[in-house]
Amino acid sequence: MVTRVPHHSTRPRRRLRLLLASGVAALALTAGSVVPGNLLAPAPSEARADDGKTTLTVAVAQSVDSLSPFLAQRLLSTSVLRLMYDFLTNYDPKDNKAIPGLATAWEPSADKLTWTYTIRSDSKWSDGQQATAEDAAWTFNKMMTDEAAATSNGSFVGNFEKVTAPSKDKLVITLKEPQATMAALDVPIVPKHLWEKVGDFSKFNNDKEFPIVGNGPFIVTDYKVDSYVKLKANKDFWRGSPKFDELVFRYYKDQDAAVAALRKGEVSFVAGSPSLTPAQSASLENAPDIKVNDAPGRRFFALAVNPGARTKDGQKFGDGHPALLDQKVRHALFMAVDRKTIIDKVFQGHAVEGEGYIPPRFGDYFWKPSADQKLAYDPARAGSLLDEAGYKKNGAGKRVGKDGKPLDFRILCHATDPNDKAIGKYLQEWWGEQGIGLKVDCLDNVSDPWYAGEYDLAFDGWSVNPDPDFVLSIHTCDALPAKAKETASTDNFICDKQYDELYKKQLAEYDPAKRADLVKQLESRLYDTGYMNVMAYPNAVEAYRTDHIESITTMPSAAGNIYGQDGYWSWWSAVPAAGASSSGSSDSGGSSTGVLIGVGIAVVVLAGGGLLFAMRRRSTAEDRE
Amino acid sequence: MSSESTPALLKGAAGVESTESGGPAPAGPSARSPRSRSTAAYARYAAGKLAGAAVSLFAVLVTSFFLFRLIPGDPVKQMTGGRQVSTEQIAAMRREFGLDLPLWEQFTQYCGKALTGDFGTSYQFRAPVVDKIAEALPATLLLTGTAFVIYTLLGIWLGARSAWRNGSAGDRANTAFALTLYSVPSFWLGLLLIITLSVGIGPIPGLFPTGGMESGDTEGFDRVLDIAHHMVLPVVTLVAVEYARTLLVMRSSLLDEMGSDYLTTARAKGLRDDLVRRKHAVPNAMLPTVTLLFVNLGTTVAGAILVETVFSWPGLGGLFYQALSVPDLPLVQALFFVFAAAVILMNTLADVIYPLLDPRVGR
Amino acid sequence: MTTSMQKPEPLEPDARKPSGQPEKVVPVQSPRALTRARRRQAVARFWRQYRTHRAGLVGLAVLAVIALLALTAPLLVGADSQSVTSAPGGPMEAPSGEFPLGTDQFGRSLLALMLWGTRVSLTVGLLAAFLSVAIGTLIGITAGHFKGWYATVVMRITDWFLVMPTLVLAIALATVLSRSVWTTILAIGVTTWPTTARLVRAQTLSVESRPYIERSRALGGGHRHIMSRHVLPNVMPLVLAQTTLVISTAILTEATLAFLGLSDPTIVSWGGLLQDAREAGAVSSGNWWYLAPPGLAIAVVALAFTLCGRAIESVLNPKLGVSR
Repeated sequence: MVTRVPHHSTRPRRRLRLLLASGVAALALTAGSVVPGNLLAPAPSEARADDGKTTLTVAVAQSVDSLSPFLAQRLLSTSVLRLMYDFLTNYDPKDNKAIPGLATAWEPSADKLTWTYTIRSDSKWSDGQQATAEDAAWTFNKMMTDEAAATSNGSFVGNFEKVTAPSKDKLVITLKEPQATMAALDVPIVPKHLWEKVGDFSKFNNDKEFPIVGNGPFIVTDYKVDSYVKLKANKDFWRGSPKFDELVFRYYKDQDAAVAALRKGEVSFVAGSPSLTPAQSASLENAPDIKVNDAPGRRFFALAVNPGARTKDGQKFGDGHPALLDQKVRHALFMAVDRKTIIDKVFQGHAVEGEGYIPPRFGDYFWKPSADQKLAYDPARAGSLLDEAGYKKNGAGKRVGKDGKPLDFRILCHATDPNDKAIGKYLQEWWGEQGIGLKVDCLDNVSDPWYAGEYDLAFDGWSVNPDPDFVLSIHTCDALPAKAKETASTDNFICDKQYDELYKKQLAEYDPAKRADLVKQLESRLYDTGYMNVMAYPNAVEAYRTDHIESITTMPSAAGNIYGQDGYWSWWSAVPAAGASSSGSSDSGGSSTGVLIGVGIAVVVLAGGGLLFAMRRRSTAEDRE
Repeated sequence: MSSESTPALLKGAAGVESTESGGPAPAGPSARSPRSRSTAAYARYAAGKLAGAAVSLFAVLVTSFFLFRLIPGDPVKQMTGGRQVSTEQIAAMRREFGLDLPLWEQFTQYCGKALTGDFGTSYQFRAPVVDKIAEALPATLLLTGTAFVIYTLLGIWLGARSAWRNGSAGDRANTAFALTLYSVPSFWLGLLLIITLSVGIGPIPGLFPTGGMESGDTEGFDRVLDIAHHMVLPVVTLVAVEYARTLLVMRSSLLDEMGSDYLTTARAKGLRDDLVRRKHAVPNAMLPTVTLLFVNLGTTVAGAILVETVFSWPGLGGLFYQALSVPDLPLVQALFFVFAAAVILMNTLADVIYPLLDPRVGR
Repeated sequence: MTTSMQKPEPLEPDARKPSGQPEKVVPVQSPRALTRARRRQAVARFWRQYRTHRAGLVGLAVLAVIALLALTAPLLVGADSQSVTSAPGGPMEAPSGEFPLGTDQFGRSLLALMLWGTRVSLTVGLLAAFLSVAIGTLIGITAGHFKGWYATVVMRITDWFLVMPTLVLAIALATVLSRSVWTTILAIGVTTWPTTARLVRAQTLSVESRPYIERSRALGGGHRHIMSRHVLPNVMPLVLAQTTLVISTAILTEATLAFLGLSDPTIVSWGGLLQDAREAGAVSSGNWWYLAPPGLAIAVVALAFTLCGRAIESVLNPKLGVSR
């Protein structure tokens, strides 16, 4: 790191002094506004360091939208809700398998339509009442009957016929149709005795009374919009109390500010959502007491093709390029994409080359194409495929169709995603060499053209859950919109008979191994269509201070991420570092040292400014005589 | 925030000039009105200004509705994007937000409610927009208010000094320095300040927090300190890019004033130089500056958007930017209205107050 | 601002006769040649006065250098310096002999990108300023010339635009329209014209109150004739000063919009480079060499335009007392 800031040193000294004077005056006045308080302040850090509370501060790049489990949409909010309320089941950090949560056991009936959950007896709400099956039944019923309560998790209860609690420890869910995902109901269960008093669920944000009554590993004690959410350890949590006394999620609009805060020890952890950039992680790797966790991600990053948008009953709309209806063209396009370069240059190694639809992190469902099935990078083969498809190069090196029209595509890109923009530049050049034009359309909000089917290609990516059902369901014919341009759950209008049959089979298959096999067949089919071409699985790059956090569980525990897990493992398991009893206060200690230094500088500046001012005043007075 | 100051160096002049349009010639040395103006005339003038402001406010209300409806993208889809949602959920949300109604119906509802001070419910926060704004407003007012006071005092002080010694090396350096800072993009200056004073480069330690308004672990007086500590860099940034405007207007109006006969007379009478300046020239030269101050006060609120973004300041600017990306229509509309209303109100206030302040316009 | 035409007489209005009236006193020269000569004189006089403003000269010199760099960029660095696939360096290299300003995250030379960015930033700044000033001048002159309800309505609109928070409006416009250079130009142009309109209107009013306009009107000069032959030449100097000042605002606004991610990301501009730097995490990685040059360049160009604008302004109106 170079330390010199460029400045003009060539000016005559006198003028420099004048310049300085006005600059100093600006600073001095500003500092002056801060100083009076500072001078009177006792060093605030000592008092607080004594209580020995350990605090884990997490810097997040998102603010909370709502603390109501029925309304919350954002990842941060759902992560916090995970900590506040226990779910029926949880996922094993080792292998993502479902393990007990609020429910200790669950089993389907013979006809696959009734699931019975046994609710544990040692889970208490933080106001002392016991958490029972009654609470769970009420939560699900509320979502099934009140539209406003279905806002965030309604999809989980779409297939529910009836939910009852015959006893305190038995929850019975009756389904309309068999559903294999019943051990993956990621729905926070709320205390009935408090929530039944809520009037309008569409307006209730659960952020007026603190602490918020919950039964998860942490209890929310304070929340300030756009600033922080503060939680304290639930000492009575049935799985055991968390090791840190306090957990704070602090919001930084700017990832850079968060990284800088980590460097300075103002926070203990920087969430990898969005992932730290290669430059950030490179610079943090060299920093003392900081560990960068470069974890295999749960996302795939794909090149989606518009296969001709249509409604459920086959009415076509949108303006997807007709050339893309030809599988050869789709394959050729993908074969001209050098995925290795994308990993090396754009992600700078912080990603894994894409293969099947589901990332390797989910070992049970991970599939990769066989050698002869694989659409490897091969520009020459891509060229001949395009020739075969009837798009030959003309004299100017442009590919033209039989109608003489040049082959030009558009790609939809998310303006807020640097990777989209970067890869867009590469695609322009790679496909340019093939004689194909590409226009990169970067939008803040891609949903309009997306749902109107007004695009040719698009950058696409989804976070995959331990149960892959959702990301698979978005490519079925069922997900197509009922009316043209209407929002629907479909991702990019794929509708393939063979895929749909496999999808139905896997959803009704309750045997995990057999289901996994069906899922892999699905992925294989999807790969061959060339509609969803996975380029990479980006890593989740996050970082934390080893002098604050001794150890923390990743998920999967072998090599996995920390922020945004399917479970509360990371924060529940985090162990404060030896010196961290002051970690919470060490950062405030740090900031108070900062204050003191700041005061010092301000005083010096002020005094210097005043002196200069006085001197100049005198000298000008003399001038005037 | 230089881009905000569009009409830039001239906005001050325009502000002064704006009083020249309509009304019984309220302002300016070239006031055409008879020296003794009745209170009734002033009342009529003020009423006219207030009525104009009301019309402008309504126009802003209308614009805010239609302008943002043009933003491509379905807010519901954007909000639920990447999550597991069913078509029914989406339809229910659209119903809830009133997005399924015809546009004109949405518009009349919006206007009707806005007139009673109800700007609807934020899509993403599920809270009344008015509450969200009330939550963020203090942060913005604190930041911009502090910056405003500092750059105003600094601008007036340096501007007066500069004009008094017009053409001297000090004047030149002063103006050059102000103009240079004025040309600097505020967000860039903010980022550089973060790199040097917050992250710390080499021997420079990170003295100030990187962003936010407070650490959240302090109470009482410590909290005041903590907030002050967080405010230093954003305030310095705002002051640095903003004070030039005040300085230049102050400087040129004082220069205008210095050509006046009464000053020459005062000096000829043997009054001390800085006494003449303090007692006579500066107070008179303050008039156009005062107008500028109001204009500044109005624009600084919106102008803080960039600085708030760079320093993660939890104010209106950050809220606007967050709301725009959804787009969270009720919130965006209301914020736009607030930003514009601030300017309108301040300008109106300046127009109304100016004739009262100007000693040359007899009352 | 109404006083701005008193002292210097670069384009003293009474000097020029309505073109329909052949000048008989000086038979040797055609009226057109005469006008041309007068204009040449006026320009020369203007230049003589401008020359005395040191800051203005510095600004002009800086602009000349930068314009030269922008024009010769293709020769200096070659078109393939923007290519990502043939980027010569590693990602985000610090400045070195090979890459004097370091490289960006794709390994492209930042110096080359800065040079290319000059073209975009200058073009956008100039076009946006011209658009803004053109709108402002048109509205200002017509509002000053046609009084009555037209002026009232137009000036109401102008006032209303004047109080709109410019940045907020520009952000909104840039969000509403698709991302391209033209959107940026439009967003800036449409939001910054009102000041010009106000100034030009005031000037128009003062010009039209002069006796020779009365004379021209009596001689049958139509609206168009008066506006284009009499008013326009007289507001031109003011417009010129205003343009230079607006350019610097426009360049800053362009950078701001690009920085907020609201401009075309496939085009290299200074603001875009800043946005790239920030997205790549240059701030927290301490890569100041990525961040500093584009911002400096913006500041230098904006300052240069401001200096020129102020110098022009003070030539036209010495009372402003811009330091020399």
